[in-house]
Amino acid sequence: MPYHEFECSKCIPERKKHAVIKGPGEDLTSALPLGYLNTIPGSISERGCAYCGAKHVIGTPMKDVIHLSHGPIGCTYDTWQTKRYISDNDNFQIKNTFATDMKEKHVIFGAEKLLKQTIIEAFKAFPKIKRMSIYQTCASALIGDDINAIAEEVMEEMPEVDIFVCNSPGFGGPSQSGGHHKINIAWINQKVGTIEPEIISPYVINYVGEYNIQGDQHVMMDFFNRMGIQVLSTFTGNGSYDSLRGMHRAHLNVLECARSAEYICNELKKRYGIPRLDIDAFGFGTLAEALRKIGMFFGIEDRAQAIIDEETARWKPELDWYKERLRGKKVCLWPGGSKLWHWAHVIHDEFGVDVVSVYTKFGHQGDMEKGISRCEEGALAIDDPNELEGLEAMDMLKPDIIFTGKRPGEVAKKVRVPYLNAHAYHNGPWKGWEGWVRFARDIYNGIYSPIHQLALLDISKDDIPTDKGFMTQRMLSDKDLSEEITSSTVLRQYTGKYDCLSELSKKTYPGFDPVLADAA
Amino acid sequence: MLCEVKEKTRTGIINPIFTCQPCGAQFVSIGVKNCVGIVHGGQGCVMFVRLLISQHFKESFEIASSSVHEDGAVFGACSRVEEAVDVLLMRYPHIKVIPIISTCSTEIIGDDIDGVVTKLNAGLLKEKYAGREVHLIPIHTPSFVGSMVSGYDIAVRDFVTYFAKKTEPDKKLNLITGWVNPGDVTALKHLLAEMQIDATVLFEIENFDSPLMPYGNFVSHGDTTIEDLSGTANAIGTIALNRYEGGKAALYLEKEFGVPAIVGPTPIGIRNTDTFLQNLKTLTGRPIPESLVRERGIAIDALTDITHMFLADKKVAIYGNPDLAIGIAEFCLDLEMRPVLLLLGDDNTNYQNDLRIKAFQENVDFPMEIITNADLWELENRIKNDGLELDLILGHSKGRFSAIDNNIPMVRVGFPTYDRAGLYRHPVVGYAGAMWLAEQMVNTIFTDMEYKKNKEWILNVW
Repeated sequence: MPYHEFECSKCIPERKKHAVIKGPGEDLTSALPLGYLNTIPGSISERGCAYCGAKHVIGTPMKDVIHLSHGPIGCTYDTWQTKRYISDNDNFQIKNTFATDMKEKHVIFGAEKLLKQTIIEAFKAFPKIKRMSIYQTCASALIGDDINAIAEEVMEEMPEVDIFVCNSPGFGGPSQSGGHHKINIAWINQKVGTIEPEIISPYVINYVGEYNIQGDQHVMMDFFNRMGIQVLSTFTGNGSYDSLRGMHRAHLNVLECARSAEYICNELKKRYGIPRLDIDAFGFGTLAEALRKIGMFFGIEDRAQAIIDEETARWKPELDWYKERLRGKKVCLWPGGSKLWHWAHVIHDEFGVDVVSVYTKFGHQGDMEKGISRCEEGALAIDDPNELEGLEAMDMLKPDIIFTGKRPGEVAKKVRVPYLNAHAYHNGPWKGWEGWVRFARDIYNGIYSPIHQLALLDISKDDIPTDKGFMTQRMLSDKDLSEEITSSTVLRQYTGKYDCLSELSKKTYPGFDPVLADAA
Repeated sequence: MLCEVKEKTRTGIINPIFTCQPCGAQFVSIGVKNCVGIVHGGQGCVMFVRLLISQHFKESFEIASSSVHEDGAVFGACSRVEEAVDVLLMRYPHIKVIPIISTCSTEIIGDDIDGVVTKLNAGLLKEKYAGREVHLIPIHTPSFVGSMVSGYDIAVRDFVTYFAKKTEPDKKLNLITGWVNPGDVTALKHLLAEMQIDATVLFEIENFDSPLMPYGNFVSHGDTTIEDLSGTANAIGTIALNRYEGGKAALYLEKEFGVPAIVGPTPIGIRNTDTFLQNLKTLTGRPIPESLVRERGIAIDALTDITHMFLADKKVAIYGNPDLAIGIAEFCLDLEMRPVLLLLGDDNTNYQNDLRIKAFQENVDFPMEIITNADLWELENRIKNDGLELDLILGHSKGRFSAIDNNIPMVRVGFPTYDRAGLYRHPVVGYAGAMWLAEQMVNTIFTDMEYKKNKEWILNVW
C-alpha cells in the first residue's frame, strides 16, 4: 500500500505520509496514513478547532440547555445555525445561542464578573430553562478566567440551576477532535452520577455518539421502544441534561460515533463497569446486526428479529430499486471523522457504489484503519485533506458523486461533481431502514440530475442535442438497464413522505417489562 | 422625542447580530485578486467564516489559517505565520497578496505580526521568492474589539493604505461600496456607466456569483487588482457609500493624498440614490442623463403602485449592518412605513452621533427605538414579552426564528441570507434596488395575508 504523493503537495514533504492508495491484495500493515498530527499552516486544511468540537458537535445537541460561550462574539455566532441537530423541544438549542461578548477591557481586567452577570441574565430571559453549559474559548482560556469557580458561585446562589463547564479552547489540539475528548471527560467528571434516574425496564442503555442529525435519534428511539429498551440518555442528540447525569445506571452503552464519544464509554466502563457495544445504525445489514447484538445482550433477540423482518420487508424493494441504478457509481467518501468507516462497506454492499476515496479531517489513525479496510481496492485514503489535494484527487478519480461538508461540496460543484452533505444530510434522516432508502434516493437524485447532465455540455463546441425538451432522472438512469429491472413489479422507488418523523412522534408503544427486584 | 437611542442594558449577548472582526477582514480579502489571506489564530476562526460565506453565496472561497495549536498559544506562534506564508506561496503560484489577519488569541499572546512581516520581507521573500511580487499586509482585527463591521472597515483601510501610491493624477473615481452583494456592485456599476464615469470599485466582487462551467474550475473570487488599489491615490475623488464599512479608507486617501472624500449616504431608496448621483456629479462634473431619469421613473412608478395602498403605516423592525439598517429605515419612511425598532449590533459609540440617527430623533412622529450594542433578543423579547406588534421584519437569516416562531413575515436582507436562494444576485442599492426591496417587502406581506387569510381578497383588484 504505497503512500500517494500529490503533485500539489510535493513541496511540503510532511504531507507525504498522509495519503495512501489501497493496492490489490495489500493489507494495512504495509502502510497507513499518519493521522491526528498538527496541521500544516497555510495548507488550507478543512479542520476546525477544539472549541467547536466540544461546543458545536457534542455540547449543543443537548436540548434543554442554555449554551453559553465565554469569549468574544465570533465563536458563538459562527457555531450557530450551521447544523441540523433537531430536538423534540421545538429546537431550543438550535434557535438560541449565548455569549459573554468579551471586549478589550475584559481581556485586560478579567471577565469573570461579566460571565456571572451574563449567566444570571440568560436564566432570567428563559425562566423555564434551568440548565447551562459554559464553553471556554481561546480568549477566556488565555486570560485565565476561572469559569468553574463562577459556575459554582452561581449554583450556590441559584440552587434551582445546574451548570456544566467545558474548558476546551480552540487551540487545544490539531482539530475539533481534541474538543470531543475534553467534553467527554468533563461531562463524566462533573455530571455523571449526580442524579439517580428511575429505572423502569429490565433493559437499560445509554445511546452514545448519536447527534440526532435530521432526526436520526427519533428513528432509533422507535426501535429501542419497540424492543422494550429504556434509553436512559442519548449522548447528546435530543438528549436532556438531567438524563445525561444519570448515565451511570445503564446496563449497556450502545456506541455509535466512536470517534467523538468512545471516551465517555470507556470511562463509564472503568468507573461503573458498564460494557460498551459499538454499532453502525446506517444500513440494512449493519442496523440489523446492531439490534440483534443489543437483543442478544439482553436476551431479547426475538424482539430485534421481529423489527428486522418487518422493516426489511417494508423497505428492501425500495433499497434495491436504487441499488440497481447506482451500481458501479464512483463515490468519494469525504466526511469528518467516523462516517468513512460507518459507510464505506455498507454503501458498497447495499447501494452497489464503489468507494474510490475516503478521507478524514479530524479522524485518528484508528479511523483510517477501519475506513481503508472497508473500502474498495485502489481507493485513495487521505488524512487531513486540503483544498488543492481534494481538487487533484477529484481530477484523478472522476467520481460520480461526493459525500462531504457544505463548503467542500461547493468546491466539488465547480468541477462538476455533485455533492451530498455527509454531516447534515440532504433529505434525512438517513438512519433506520427508511432513512437508508432516503440516503439512496438522495444519491440517485444527485447523480441523475438532468441539470447536472446539462452542466457537462459545452454549447460552444459540443453538438447540442435538439430533440428533447426535457429529461427525467429515469430517462438517464434506466437507459442501460435490463427490461427485467425496469419493469420489475417488486422493486419500487421511495414511497415515504418528505417529513418521515411526524408519524413517529404519534406512535404508542406497549411499555416496558416489569423490573424484577434482583435485576434492579 | 419619540425616537429613542439607547444601549442594550444586558451585558451578555443572546443571539448575536454580528460575528467578530476577523470575519470582516476575511470578507475584504476575498475581494482582492490573487490574494489569499492567512488568519492567525485557531482553525475555527477560518473554517467557520469560510462556511458562513459559503452558506450565503453557495460558493467556496479560499482563506488559509496559521493553525495555532497549544504549543503556539503557550510559546508564541509567529513561526506558524512564517510557515503558512511559505506553504501558500509554494502551492499557489498566482498569489501576490497575503494579508495576515490577527484574532483574539494571537492578539492576547502578543504575537507581533508586523515584526513577522518585516522578517519575512527581509528573509524568506528575498531569498526564496526573489523576483516574485508578494505583498504581506498585517491586519489587526482582535475579536474582542468591534465586530465584523469594524473588521471590514479596518481591512479596507489597511489594503488601501498599503497599496495607495501617488503617481500621475487620473480622472478615475474611487467607489468604496461597503459590505454588499454582487447584485449591488452590478447596480452601482450600471449607474456609473450611465453617467459615463470611470471608477475603481472597491471591491469588485461581481464574480462572487461565479459560473459552473463545462470545463475548468471557476472558483469564486474578487477581481480588485493591486493596480486598482495603488491607483486610489490618484483619483479625482472617493465616495464611500457606507460610513462604517470603508469610511476610514476614504478619509485616509483624503488626508494622505488630498483625494476629496464623500462618505455616505448608503444609496438605499430613491432619495439616497438621488444624493449618490448628485455626489457623483459634484465630484466628476458629469451630468445625470435622461436614461437615469427614466430608470428612476420606472422605480417611482412601481413604488407608487404599492406604497400608500399597502406599505403605509406598516410597522417594521430592522437589524443588520448599521449602514444597511439605517438606509433601509430611511427608505421605509419614504414608503410611509414605520420602522419602530432598529437594532445596531455592536458597541460602536459613534452611532449615537450619526447624523442620520439624529434626523430620526428630530423628525420621526411615532415611537421608534434604536438599540445599540444590540442582539436579537432585543427583538424577540419585545415581541414575546413586551407586546411589540410588527407587520414585517427586515434582516439577515440569523434572525429567522424570531419571524417564524412569531408568525411575522420577514424579508431577508444583508449578510448572511442563507435561508433564501439567490438573494446575493439582487441589489438593494440604486433605483433597481429600491424597486426590488419594496416589491420584496410587499410581496412578502401579500403571501402572509394569504396564509393568514387576512384580507387576502383585497388583492383581487389593485
